[in-house]
Amino acid sequence: MTEAVRLDSITKRFPGVVANDDVTLSVERGTVHALLGENGAGKTTLMNVLYGLYEPTEGAVYVDGDGLATDADGGIAAAPRRFDSPRDAIDAGVGMIHQHFMLVDPMTVAENITLGNEPRKWGGLAVDRDAAREAVVDLSRRYGFDVDPDARIADVGVGVQQRVEILKALYRGAEVLVLDEPTAVLTPQEVEDLFEVLAELTDAGKTIVFITHKLGEALSAADEVTVLRDGRNVGTVETAGTSREELAELMVGREVVLDTETPPATPGDPALTVDGVTARDDRDVVAVDDVSFAVREGEVFGIAGVDGNGQSELVEAITGLHDPDAGRIELAGTDVTDASRRERARAGMAYVPEDRQERGLVMSFDLTENGVLGSQHDAPFSRGGRLDWDRVDEHARGVIDEYDVRPPDPGADARSLSGGNQQKFIVGREFARDPVCMVASHPTRGVDIGSTEFIHDRLVGLRDEGHAVLLVSSKLDEVRSLSDRLAVMYRGRVVAVVDPEAVTEEQLGLLMAGETPADLPRAGRVVGGDGGTPDADARRTTAVDDVDAEATDD
Amino acid sequence: MSAASRLRERVDGLGTRATVALGAAALLAVALAGAVAAGAGDVVAAVLGLLFQRSTLSAALRLSVPIAFAALGGIFAEKAGVINIGLEGLLIVSAFGGVYGTHVTGSVWLGLLGGVVAAVLLALLFAVVCIEFRADQIIAGLAIWLIALGLAPFASKVVFGSKNSATVGTVPGLRGLVANSGLPFVATVGGDALDALAGIPFFGALFDASPMVYLMFLAVGASWWTLNRTAFGRRVRASGENPRALDTAGVDVSRVRYAAVLLSGVLAGVGGAALSLSLGQFIGNGPTMVNGKGFIAIVTYLLGNYNPVGALLSTLLFAGLDALQLTLQGQDVLAVPRPLVRTIPYVSVVVVLALFGRTRLPEAAGEHYESGEE
Amino acid sequence: MTDGDRGDGIDADGPDDGDGADDAVAAADGGRPPLLLSVAIGFLLVLLAGRMTTCASAAYSLLGVGFCYDPFVVYESLFLGAFGDVASDPLNGQLATTLSETTVLVFTGVAVAVAFKAGVFNIGGQGQLVFGALASALAVVAVADPVSGVAGTLVLVPLALAVGALVGGIYGAIPGALKAYADANEVITTIMLNFVATSVALYLAGGPFKDPDSFANQTRALPEYALFPKALFPGRADASLPALALAVLVAVAVAYLLRRTAFGYDVRTSGLQPEAAEYGGVDAARTVVASMALSGALAGLGGAVYVLTIAGNFQTGVPDYGFDGITVSILAGNNPVGAVAAALLFGVLKSGSIVVDVGTDVPPQLVGVLRGLIVLFVAMPEFFRMIGRRVDVRDRFGGSRDAVATDGGEEA
Repeated sequence: MTEAVRLDSITKRFPGVVANDDVTLSVERGTVHALLGENGAGKTTLMNVLYGLYEPTEGAVYVDGDGLATDADGGIAAAPRRFDSPRDAIDAGVGMIHQHFMLVDPMTVAENITLGNEPRKWGGLAVDRDAAREAVVDLSRRYGFDVDPDARIADVGVGVQQRVEILKALYRGAEVLVLDEPTAVLTPQEVEDLFEVLAELTDAGKTIVFITHKLGEALSAADEVTVLRDGRNVGTVETAGTSREELAELMVGREVVLDTETPPATPGDPALTVDGVTARDDRDVVAVDDVSFAVREGEVFGIAGVDGNGQSELVEAITGLHDPDAGRIELAGTDVTDASRRERARAGMAYVPEDRQERGLVMSFDLTENGVLGSQHDAPFSRGGRLDWDRVDEHARGVIDEYDVRPPDPGADARSLSGGNQQKFIVGREFARDPVCMVASHPTRGVDIGSTEFIHDRLVGLRDEGHAVLLVSSKLDEVRSLSDRLAVMYRGRVVAVVDPEAVTEEQLGLLMAGETPADLPRAGRVVGGDGGTPDADARRTTAVDDVDAEATDD
Repeated sequence: MSAASRLRERVDGLGTRATVALGAAALLAVALAGAVAAGAGDVVAAVLGLLFQRSTLSAALRLSVPIAFAALGGIFAEKAGVINIGLEGLLIVSAFGGVYGTHVTGSVWLGLLGGVVAAVLLALLFAVVCIEFRADQIIAGLAIWLIALGLAPFASKVVFGSKNSATVGTVPGLRGLVANSGLPFVATVGGDALDALAGIPFFGALFDASPMVYLMFLAVGASWWTLNRTAFGRRVRASGENPRALDTAGVDVSRVRYAAVLLSGVLAGVGGAALSLSLGQFIGNGPTMVNGKGFIAIVTYLLGNYNPVGALLSTLLFAGLDALQLTLQGQDVLAVPRPLVRTIPYVSVVVVLALFGRTRLPEAAGEHYESGEE
Repeated sequence: MTDGDRGDGIDADGPDDGDGADDAVAAADGGRPPLLLSVAIGFLLVLLAGRMTTCASAAYSLLGVGFCYDPFVVYESLFLGAFGDVASDPLNGQLATTLSETTVLVFTGVAVAVAFKAGVFNIGGQGQLVFGALASALAVVAVADPVSGVAGTLVLVPLALAVGALVGGIYGAIPGALKAYADANEVITTIMLNFVATSVALYLAGGPFKDPDSFANQTRALPEYALFPKALFPGRADASLPALALAVLVAVAVAYLLRRTAFGYDVRTSGLQPEAAEYGGVDAARTVVASMALSGALAGLGGAVYVLTIAGNFQTGVPDYGFDGITVSILAGNNPVGAVAAALLFGVLKSGSIVVDVGTDVPPQLVGVLRGLIVLFVAMPEFFRMIGRRVDVRDRFGGSRDAVATDGGEEA
């Protein structure tokens, strides 16, 4: 056995935080090694140390793509590496594929791959574009990739962008590839393809470290798994000899019930009706295409899909942040299509936004001030345009108490809170509106497990009190376990509304990739306004047919 | 509102060149509408006549020089992710620096170098403040303008005893250069050829301009090449679009940004020195002789969509308006009072921005970048 | 990652403690270090200028090198000169100049601060002030005749103020609307509109509304009873205590508006985080227009006060109050009440620059350079934080970022 990477007792401290605490990690050459842990467990920090973006506070980094030479005691014969910048790491054969792709959108594939290492001609007066293109074609042929060197990054899909990232690393001579959450933005099918690519690369002698918080992926793609929790290495296991349960327990530090049981819903009248809504994104491309559904009182209606299939635009159209091109939105029977955001909130629409730090909270306001965001013009907080800060403060304290926000200090700036506590505060504030309909968009993204459970309980509780809940999430487990009916969005369309209890993960995966699986357990579709279910049923069929047609066109 | 937004949508769909052309048409329409409002049809005819005079083109080319150079500088800085609102300030110090350098050395060419040095030093200050100390780029750029606005008249008073400098030499025209080239053949034959070409109506102005005008055309081409064909240009663009991509590719983002901002100092420096050395004097009253040209430069490159050629075209447009304005002031064709005529370029900037304001800025423009930040 | 331990000692109920200020501008660690650094650089500049010019004998020498200008004399004239001989005459003319300049600067400073709070950079204060000044002067000239005496003052002064605010407000709302509805960058449009205002004012004051008895481009002089009462100050002084009181009152009122009203909440939210404001039901476009209109109205009010205290009519070549307002606001961390103190500082600089001009050979444009340097240094809080951190490492005390910043403030 030869190691390609050894991180020896790495500690990385930031002001006030220890991100990595004495972590040792050893990766064998020619294998896939998964680094598993929850958000904030220190995975990315550790890999940034390996990639030279961070200098470790303590500890040593050893890397050699051809295998590290060891002495008799198992110690490393070579001197530890000192990476002052990514450049040094690149020179040592380490390539990193970041979670957010490090690509320049307006440039072509070849330009991106060669950035920083451009082949030149005429004494450096020009980039040799033919040589660059050739190098890219050569590389992709060698590893069986299929990319067009002249396509602009902005015009290709995420799967291709990821391949470009990998090619970029290979172009720089990477022997050790680090992938940070590579599956977050991929469909199940694309994930399969990626794993095949990884196998191909290890066959060619490359070493791969891949960061994930998804148990299943770690198990299926890796040879070995190292679990990080609170910045520490809590165990390295071979995938051949472990189970989901064991890994989950290592990750969380206690036994975990992987599925939450929810009592069945007793739905009532439609509270939120979306009828034929079409909307464009910032680039003026149709992102939501003729979407119709209704959310009834006392039910959780889930929307699943790979990120970027129109969910964000749909939510913004519903909540009044984005004008739809066409369609109609009703809240409790009232047409709110042309109502402003404030009018919708007043009419009983609560909204937990996707991005809490951009939208949900004003980061430099304290919690008192944030507690009134969205109701600053409403009684009892505002009287004659004058804000009653005592009332506002009291309100914020109430939310903090009830939702266990820490620290329990209404004077603390929002930015000083952890992600989970920020989210609990937002959820509490929105629940306090006593809404007709709650629109929750990715309510537990980047939130620790404890807060996630808490937020889930609250959502189900709200439903049981007879409120309507629209839940949008890209976490399949979450939408499946919480929803009473589940819609899947693909390329701006709702391709199916299914029964989350009966549908299988494979079927959902196919739907999310735009295909229609057989024997789909469809859920009864409710469309407000035009009344009849049979009619609605007919409409659903056409919608699915349309998608198929589109898929064959491509 | 809806009509305007629909118009904008239509315009957004067009390419750079079409946008510039449309902008030109819109500006002309505004100017003509103003002319019609002010007088009768024959006045319009007179204005059009002026527009196509050789002297108008000649003035437009001369007036383009500082704006175009500043715009090129602005393109490099902003493409690299540093919004340089301080171009006006760079023009001001280099205008003074050019005159001071000429005053001290007796040579306009060394004076030109002096102007460039002055602008580069101020650009260096701006770069350090923005890149090293993470200053807000807009505020720092504004400060650069305010500093120059105080510093140049201050220095002029110290050196020349007045906010306006003494008169020094000017950059000789192409004709003069040829005549004094010291090569008998060039002086005679070249001179005759130039005389003949300069005699062409309207376009003759192209052959009888200051060498700075030709340098401007050269700089536009070189800038385009640098941005689009060299490794440095790619890095500049990447630094403005996604600095992390550049950083993780092993290129030092700060160095690229320093280079781009200093380059904007060099270019603006040439522009500012050319401005004062075409007159042979620095004028430091009020907003100084630069008088908003740096800000107009920003609008020209926005309108030109960061393309040096597009920026040059829109510069020629604004300079053409300014030239027309000067001719109008001089020839009393219109009954419109001079101070109002003087507002034409500024009003057109506002109109252009309102119609075509939605330029796509480089993704990371205006943002500080720190290596290793999450 | 958490940004550290904030939240201690911040008085949430204070009128406005700068917590809502724009990150880059906030620099709540005070304007003092930038100010002192600017003064230090100004010192060097004076020395440098003293080497570039020639004089019979050195006014100041350092390490055996003679300089024609003595920076200590310059700064003494600049800062102390502005107060005149307060001991023997508390109401001396130089102090009156200082206070009258301060009064106008409070208005323009608060004007810029309001826009800044809404996330809009109003560089057009100068143009708004010029139009406000011109309109108020014209309004008074138009209606001055029928009324006179105390009654005249009671009618004409409020009228002039109202007209100045209205016209300034409209001229401020234009770039606001262009930004809100056409995405036109307000930095550029406001600067362009300054040029337009100057030219149009030149035309009006030099043409249709020109004082026929004067060679200068100015309107007719306003009658004495239409001007702001001076209160304690003698008749020929520019200072008016009621006007100064009005300025302070306006600053406090704006602070109240921003901190205590729903509209102020909307403004601050859109300035800090437009996406969050949108989420919170704030109509972003309307807020931008409203705050620019308010900002323009304050600048226009400043213009009217300038006419009613300092100028006595409208004349072209209005001093740079609008630009100084930017510096005042930035130095005050965009806190309207803090702007009063910053305005006083700039009142001192402006008044002192006259003393420098008369009393020394150093060009008074030095003040212009200082103004730019102060803006530059306030824009780079990181610089002072770095100095502070170095101090902190040496002391091994403290630890929180805020404490370090404050240390830096005391240190420099």
